[in-house]
Amino acid sequence: MPLEIFVQVLLSGVLLGGIYALVAFGLSLVYGVAHILNIAHGTLLAVSGVVASLIYLATGWHPLLIIPLMVAPVFLFGYVFHALLLRPLAHRGKHDETIGTVLITTGALIMLSDLTGFAAGTTQRNIPVGSGVFEFGEVIVPTAQVWILAGILALTIVLQLYLKHAWFGRAVRAVTQDSLGATICGVNGPRARALTFAAGSGLVAVAGVLYAIVYPVDPYMGFSLTVRAFTIIVVGGIGNLPGAMIAGVMLGVAESFTAFLWAPKWAPALSVILLLVILVLFPRGFSSWKRA
Amino acid sequence: MTKPSSIAYALVALLAVALIPLLGGPYLTSFVFALLISFVLAQSWDWVNGQMGYLNLGHYAFYGIGAYAFAILLTRDAGLAVSFAGAVAFATLAALLVSFPLFRLKGDYFAFATLAIVPLCELLANNLDWLTKGSDGITLPPHYVLVPAFYAALGLAALTLLVTLGLMRSRFGYALRAIRNDEQVAEVAGVRLFPVKAAMLAVSAAFAGLAGAIQAWQFSFIDPFTMFNLGVALVPIAGALLGGSGLLMGPLLGVILFASLQQLLLVNITHLQGALLGLVIVLIGRFLPGGLLRWKKIAAHPAFAWLARESHFEREMTAGGPAAGALPISEAVIDPERIVLQCEAATMAFGGNVAVNRVNLTVRQGEIVGLVGPNGSGKTTLFNLISGIYTPKSGRIRIDGRDIAGLRADEIAHLGVGRSYQIPRPFGELTVRENIAIGRTYGRHKTALPDAMEAADSIAAFVGLGDKLETRADHLSLQQKKALELARALASEPKLLLVDEVASGLSTVEINLFVQHIRAIRDRYGITVIWVEHIFSALSQVVDRLVVLESGSVIADAPLAEAVRDENVLRTYLGSAHGDGRTAEARP
Repeated sequence: MPLEIFVQVLLSGVLLGGIYALVAFGLSLVYGVAHILNIAHGTLLAVSGVVASLIYLATGWHPLLIIPLMVAPVFLFGYVFHALLLRPLAHRGKHDETIGTVLITTGALIMLSDLTGFAAGTTQRNIPVGSGVFEFGEVIVPTAQVWILAGILALTIVLQLYLKHAWFGRAVRAVTQDSLGATICGVNGPRARALTFAAGSGLVAVAGVLYAIVYPVDPYMGFSLTVRAFTIIVVGGIGNLPGAMIAGVMLGVAESFTAFLWAPKWAPALSVILLLVILVLFPRGFSSWKRA
Repeated sequence: MTKPSSIAYALVALLAVALIPLLGGPYLTSFVFALLISFVLAQSWDWVNGQMGYLNLGHYAFYGIGAYAFAILLTRDAGLAVSFAGAVAFATLAALLVSFPLFRLKGDYFAFATLAIVPLCELLANNLDWLTKGSDGITLPPHYVLVPAFYAALGLAALTLLVTLGLMRSRFGYALRAIRNDEQVAEVAGVRLFPVKAAMLAVSAAFAGLAGAIQAWQFSFIDPFTMFNLGVALVPIAGALLGGSGLLMGPLLGVILFASLQQLLLVNITHLQGALLGLVIVLIGRFLPGGLLRWKKIAAHPAFAWLARESHFEREMTAGGPAAGALPISEAVIDPERIVLQCEAATMAFGGNVAVNRVNLTVRQGEIVGLVGPNGSGKTTLFNLISGIYTPKSGRIRIDGRDIAGLRADEIAHLGVGRSYQIPRPFGELTVRENIAIGRTYGRHKTALPDAMEAADSIAAFVGLGDKLETRADHLSLQQKKALELARALASEPKLLLVDEVASGLSTVEINLFVQHIRAIRDRYGITVIWVEHIFSALSQVVDRLVVLESGSVIADAPLAEAVRDENVLRTYLGSAHGDGRTAEARP
């Protein structure tokens, strides 16, 4: 393979992986803090992406303006969804809680997809921002993608710093490690869980807008992203954002090369197979021992 | 025995359903057909979830695999019988294949991994064009087979119900429920975990695969979307949970209600059927944790009492009820030369923390050994080494002369090691009798379930739980749970009984009673006992020998009278203050 093509494929893989990582961040926090297997996580991205593309189509606003417009309602949706449906499950036995969570989030997945499909149609959409290109010799990269990648990196650093140093970030990490212990130390566990669920939803709205700039979205595409995000957090470590970033980029690059060297239709198989292999080799998660 | 009337009810119901294709139109027939298939899926899923406690989100994949295997074989002129057999074979094989990696996982991680199976199958069905015709799907030769397919589905559904009843009443079924409640305790009680789990998943997959094949036969067309679509995949699961997971009639009832609702939506509403279905699933998840049949108002109603029953093991009661005193354990002559337990430099470390440090310990048959030491001195860790929960980092442990290196906990249980847990770990959702019977039926001597239930009664009476036989174990008081721990361990007829702190929290009278039990166990049945205890007055009544651990090492191993005068022991137990002579004398 010529070097410039190699670099081209690598770069598109890195970008794809960055977006995957962003999807995984929310899931990682939600699972780590609230112990919720949110099966509708990727679907929330799909819905956000569709709505954002409709807004763009109608107004032509800059995506940077659309992001906050999307984040606020999705954050609120996450908060209410958690408060009304998921929080009451906490007093059940562990197995019943898991089953309840799976049913509620799966039901939500079906509802979100169907309602969006009904209201906005099932066709694929995107946010066609015109953008120039950077040229590095033979390698051509659209500027928008570079900005997106930079944005994701900045967001990761901000989130990581927040989790490490802000009071609420520390509280969230404490709840991740030992919910009861954190509660005894004065952290409001239920509130931390609700806000984390809302924040995870808000993050996925950001990811939805960015995703729609680069790739097409439709109301039913979410679940495959959820599976990828699961893979990423299992590989990268639950609650571990840098780990998720590395795992996400690795997955994106691997998919990108699979699609290029073999066939695009096999790329989605990677995440599933990787998930199974990693779980077999490391039954408690790849890096569960080094939490964020 | 099942009452003749319930058999009659079942036959009448079966006959009534069997008449549907003859008397009802094709619309009703295909509706009931779909319902039967959905029931088979829901119920076979619930064997793994409701009985065994593993949330398998990939169950639908076996249905799809069965359908594809059937369609591929049939379109290559393999004949109907071979195609059906192939569907069962492939689904079973797939289940066995995935069971090796999957059952290394527990809880949410198991659910994670199974969730990935359906999309993987969809991808394979879409991409392996040469085999599956990709997204175009496979069209079978058009034959009108609704009626034979209906009877096939009815037969399979009846068989499914029979298997469920069989699981509720069998030894294997109790192994599943033990696993659901506490897998580690199940293994220590003698259940060999992996074959039980893999067998259940394989049987569950075989039924799902056959259901998929019958569905493909009837519909004569399959494609990846209909076979592996997540929206459809979770519908049978939702049905099972709606009725009541783990109950005999739960999945059946739930599927009937759910399918009727679905049909109602389909007929009356043109848009947003999916959204409404999703809403129903959300509501089930939110409001019906145990299903309709466990909902108080329904479970309390006499008409539904039979439907809401958790247990379907039935037997004739022996007249007079269990008598206290004798245990159903063969009496043994004690050979004081025989070494029951030998630890040679057994060592266990967690990270840098050496919990058990080169422990040498020899226990002869018929001894009662008190194992004492401060918190964190390694007593329970030593028990975990002997019962096979942990593998020693170095050193050897022999039970009755046999080196246990490389043996699983169930194999060690079968060598004759029984144990109780410091914090009681009963199988909470099962009754006292069932708890003890599991210890019995999977114990050192494999016992048929009815005999084990019989034996459980007298063992329960021996430990003072004779009036609690039908009580759920998680409803017992702490003391009763501790008694149950002892009973379950005794039920396995151990040669060596490991007792972990039972006296704390007991009154003096209760302690004395417990001491009598321990003595009787040894004197009558020749069972060797190692007893970890902090309450010294309890130990001192009965132990022959005292072994003292400190920071993982044995610092004293002597007959009781000597040990209580040992300076090291006194310092360990009473702290440095003893050395200053400011403490009252140790009371033996």
